[in-house]
Amino acid sequence: MKKYLGIAAVIVLIAGAGWWLFGRDNPEATARQVANAEASVELTPYPQQVLWGDTHLHTDNSIDAFGFGTRLGPEAALRFARGEKVTATSGMEAQIARPLDFLVIADHSDGLGATRRLYDAPRIAIQDPTLLKWHDMMHESPEQSQRAIGELITAASNGTLPEALRDPENQEKATRTIWTKHLATLDKFYDPGTFTPIAGYEWTLMPGGNNLHRVVMYRDGYDKTSKTLPFPGLDGQVDGLFDYMDAYEEATGGRVLAIPHNSNLSNGLMFELTTPDGGPMTAEYARKRAQREPVVEATQIKGDSESHPFLSPNDEFANFGDVGWEIGNLSLTEAKEDSQLAGEYLREALKRGLSIEQQTGVNPYKFGMIGSTDSHTSLATADEDNFFGKHTGNEPNGERANAPQNLGTRVGRFGWHYLASGYAAVWAKGNTRAEIFDAMMRREVYATTGPRMVVRFFGGYDFSDNDFTADWVENAYTKGVPMGGELSDNGSAPQFIVSALKDPDGAHLDRVQIVKGWITADGALREKVFDVVWSDMDSRRPVGGKVPGVGDTVDRAAATYTNDIGAPELQTVWADPEYSEGQNAFYYVRVLEIPTPRWTLFDAVRFGFELSAEALADSVSQERAYTSPIWVGPPATDATQES
Amino acid sequence: MTLPNWAREPLVHFLVAGAAVFAFFVWKGEPADPASRDITITQEDRARLSLQWEQMMQRPPTDAELDSLTETWLREEVLYREALRLGLDRDDAVVRKRLANKMDYLATSIAETAQPSDRTLEAWLADNPHRFADDTTYSFDQLYFADKDTAIAALESLSGGQNGADMGDTISLPGTMDAGTAGAIERQFGIAFLEGLNGGKPSPDWTGPVPSGFGWHLIRLRARTAGRVPPLVDIRGRVESDWRNETLAQRRDDAYQLLRDAYQVDIQK
Repeated sequence: MKKYLGIAAVIVLIAGAGWWLFGRDNPEATARQVANAEASVELTPYPQQVLWGDTHLHTDNSIDAFGFGTRLGPEAALRFARGEKVTATSGMEAQIARPLDFLVIADHSDGLGATRRLYDAPRIAIQDPTLLKWHDMMHESPEQSQRAIGELITAASNGTLPEALRDPENQEKATRTIWTKHLATLDKFYDPGTFTPIAGYEWTLMPGGNNLHRVVMYRDGYDKTSKTLPFPGLDGQVDGLFDYMDAYEEATGGRVLAIPHNSNLSNGLMFELTTPDGGPMTAEYARKRAQREPVVEATQIKGDSESHPFLSPNDEFANFGDVGWEIGNLSLTEAKEDSQLAGEYLREALKRGLSIEQQTGVNPYKFGMIGSTDSHTSLATADEDNFFGKHTGNEPNGERANAPQNLGTRVGRFGWHYLASGYAAVWAKGNTRAEIFDAMMRREVYATTGPRMVVRFFGGYDFSDNDFTADWVENAYTKGVPMGGELSDNGSAPQFIVSALKDPDGAHLDRVQIVKGWITADGALREKVFDVVWSDMDSRRPVGGKVPGVGDTVDRAAATYTNDIGAPELQTVWADPEYSEGQNAFYYVRVLEIPTPRWTLFDAVRFGFELSAEALADSVSQERAYTSPIWVGPPATDATQES
Repeated sequence: MTLPNWAREPLVHFLVAGAAVFAFFVWKGEPADPASRDITITQEDRARLSLQWEQMMQRPPTDAELDSLTETWLREEVLYREALRLGLDRDDAVVRKRLANKMDYLATSIAETAQPSDRTLEAWLADNPHRFADDTTYSFDQLYFADKDTAIAALESLSGGQNGADMGDTISLPGTMDAGTAGAIERQFGIAFLEGLNGGKPSPDWTGPVPSGFGWHLIRLRARTAGRVPPLVDIRGRVESDWRNETLAQRRDDAYQLLRDAYQVDIQK
């Protein structure tokens, strides 16, 4: 019997091989179809619908995701994102409540597919003792596999990865195979106007475990992207990445941008006041940075990087998603000093940008803000009640919220420190690669921590008669600039229109705030958070300059809340009461929802276990949106426009 | 390259492959018995080891490295055979799962790369129209009210013939939609509102109030049109990928069933 089974298996294999040889995909033909479909998408005259997406999803092609146990590839990721039901690696059915409009699969360029190859490799061919150990651990059990990847991440950040995983020459052939196949898959799933897969990868620079990662994202399809390869990051410098991007654009006529993320784990290195080699900031580097990095990921699974209480002591909402992440760098190989926080959080970086602009004439940190997942499960969900964890070991189970999360080390972070992550909201004129990319270049984007609130933000000087009826959006585009834009200081106080509509299936809104940062003539950096409109304004009068809390309807025992407090929509026109002529400033909007249960509380109810005291204390939060800023300053300071 | 239709039939592949396997075994003779204590390492074996090394390390091994590879392989083979002799492969969860996965992989490898004909996909589309139908579309007017009682009062005055133009509270939602898809409506108004639209029949009269995540709505549903199924040529990619997905699962299940049928299984409870 055994023998016949073996023969039958061989027959099947040979037949399969024959079919494979004669009937393969034709990516070039698909690319032509895609181009036609893209051209037929009708664009609106100005952005009328916000698109929701994730720019930062890992699949089993990522060296760590595979090692953590993920066995879902890009196809499953795309199916899930566009709303289909898939089976997660752990065996559960998974479906997103509402489909996404676009998805950037951002697998690590370093060792792309390498763990899968290591896992599948014949044991005998592995000579390096470390690789052999990891190979065996990966085969031994899921727990050992996760441990192996923890060791791998530590080795990567310490620069001690085995040569076979580091050498770009060695990797190139394998990478090319995976990349080309991946690009063809993206084109196959591209449905212009409806669902847009976007080519990209994660560039994983982390000297000493200090996270300087970027997601690299392309505007183009197979015809151009297949002419390049993901650029390895482990041994690089950020200038090298910029050179690579220049070379790609020059060679193909395509476009590419980079999105820094987890600045909160960079131990101060992401937004330095100097160039990367420690020299004084130059206009040239500042211009490059602004041109190549128009948006930054403000919030994701590994914490929120918008603000920190140490930097913003007067902002009582500054601590969202900070706990656990502030103790050290990514690999926890180095503890964090308070003095390093200023190089990590985006509000401070936006301020530093003004300071560098004052010195060099160019603002390197003139970026917009988005959220994304950084999920390593192939499942791009940022919903608190549908959280699939950072990696496959943390797919829903009763232990994950309380469990220590040891990325290569044995101290520090716990399951509940992880956020359910966020989404990127993009104001585009149509759902195509080009429109989404261009919206990111002009920073007409915002971040949310998961809820899909619709946020508009315009700056101008002639909004006083705006009444939020009929054509107000069109008028605002005519009279002013949208989020991400710039206003020339004309000597009078700038006005801002802000409109926030709640997530139709989510929680009411507590308040809308405008965060202002500015630089004084003598170079001092300042910030202030203004509550500009909130729910029940008649009964919630500010006390000592602060609007009282909105209340809390969350039932801790049932993980539910009610919309009895808050408002479905908040809108206002606001002029800066503290405007001072000639003072360079930025303004961005923060929208707060009423308190709702975090994923940890949903878990506790669903699996019937008790959260630790610390986790319970942090099991309710006010989810939020951050818009890209509008800058006010002297005309023509935008580096992205100049070059 | 185009192949005649008969060459695409799995049965033909099966027969050709069967003949090839038969020829191979006739030529090669019976494979070595893992239980035997004779091991011959041929030049071909060494070439294979060399190739595996090269794939991993991107260069051929030196003679010394190849000897060492051979020695390692031999050691593993000896231990492997002794392990089989001792029955260590049984009751080992990793070995068991790994082999089972390999069987599943063999069963599905064909469907993963097969190119289905238009006829196959036409049939697939005809059998599963609901998966490919366009969204239902709705044409409607709506008035928003933060408060339910206000909405009820407004409905009464509308029924009394009053014009609805200046009724309702302000909110950033369209007051009218023409042929909006279910997806577009759910995106803007939420799931509860869509259910409200599905709850009534098209009529020239205002009805409601129906709830949404924002509050309450009076609605005038002017038309509701079930989505049509587009022709294959417009959605070939989607149909193919759906077909492939389902076929993979089907092949895996079929292959398993074929094997399973040969077993007498007695589950004692």
